[in-house]
Amino acid sequence: MASAYYEFYRGSSIGMALTDSLDELITSGSITPQLAMKVLQQFDKSLADTIVKQVKVKSTLKGHLSTYRLCDDVWTFIIKNAQFKMESNEIVHTQKIKIVACKNGDAIESGKR
Amino acid sequence: MSFALPARQVTFGRPAHVPPQPQPQPPHAAQVYSANGLGIQQHQTQNPYALPGPSSLALPGSVPAPTYPSQPQPAQAKPLSPPTAPVSAAAINALAGPSTPAPSAVPATPAPLTLEQQHITAVEGIVPTLQNIVATVNLDCRLDLKTIALHARNAEYNPKRFAAVIMRIRDPKTTALIFASGKMVVTGAKSEDDSRLASRKYARIVQKLGFDAKFSEFKIQNIVGSCDVKFPIRLEGLAYSHGQFSSYEPELFPGLIYRMIKPKVVLLIFVSGKIVLTGAKVREEIYTAFNTIYTVLCEFRKP
Repeated sequence: MASAYYEFYRGSSIGMALTDSLDELITSGSITPQLAMKVLQQFDKSLADTIVKQVKVKSTLKGHLSTYRLCDDVWTFIIKNAQFKMESNEIVHTQKIKIVACKNGDAIESGKR
Repeated sequence: MSFALPARQVTFGRPAHVPPQPQPQPPHAAQVYSANGLGIQQHQTQNPYALPGPSSLALPGSVPAPTYPSQPQPAQAKPLSPPTAPVSAAAINALAGPSTPAPSAVPATPAPLTLEQQHITAVEGIVPTLQNIVATVNLDCRLDLKTIALHARNAEYNPKRFAAVIMRIRDPKTTALIFASGKMVVTGAKSEDDSRLASRKYARIVQKLGFDAKFSEFKIQNIVGSCDVKFPIRLEGLAYSHGQFSSYEPELFPGLIYRMIKPKVVLLIFVSGKIVLTGAKVREEIYTAFNTIYTVLCEFRKP
């Protein structure tokens, strides 16, 4: 059920790397484009599931919510002057961050961009 | 009497005010209300001229003179006088904090209905604060809610839960429900002007998204006010003697629900003396309802 998963993790650095590698393999004729698509769909699924089930690290976020939107079950938040506090007490500051949060079947995942 | 009044005069649906009591309005009393916006001030300024009532002779020259609430005045002998008599008290109580109505001023029999035509006055310096105004607007154009949700900021659209776009703006801090039919409900404003301004802003947002939205049929549907009489109230006694209007079920809700008929306002009265007034269409109804109930509450003040 590939359609149940969002494809936005393909835009992450690990997703880009995977896409590049698959491209190379297709060009060299090692795999078919169909197989590459299958791999990417599996990637969408695996990453989504992994983030839900295995990532336990937490961070807190503080900032000023500038705008928000809910449409098609996707929340979008633009937060200004955001401050992330990681578990290691490391603090990351940014002027502006966009959070895209998606619901996915029974599992709920959030993706950050 | 000259009606050289600014814009919002429209909402004052009662042209000929003949209040039952004299309401001397020292000019400085108006200053107290300045924080409450134009509406009240207009009434204040209107007052000295608009009171041709017979009882005004009870206080002939009192208009400019600051009269003090604690002094029983001739007019106060009448049972209905407490809400109106200490008008000048507004000026004083604004500084003096909790007000204590003179016990002698407590009426034996409240006659809530006769005060309907009464002016907006501060009873013991207490003026209900408007907390929420709900208004409706017809944008007079079908809307595609998905487009609005996708392109407008601060919009929520979840058709599975609610068939409207929920949109918010920060100034005036309000929330709008925008329906596909083009009807819109704007809530959260603290004044009539804010409500109108906010509604216009939402209409403008929808317009900017490419819809042929108009701004029509703006109507205030509900006004909610609240205040604190600063003394505890015997709700059982009130419920008993005003059974026709009251519903008091402490096991269900700690407040007494008082359904006033004239003006048609519902009041939630709490033991603490805090009052919530709702159901009014114009702010004068809130004020009138409070003035009316105040006399009643004094009677059921906890010893």
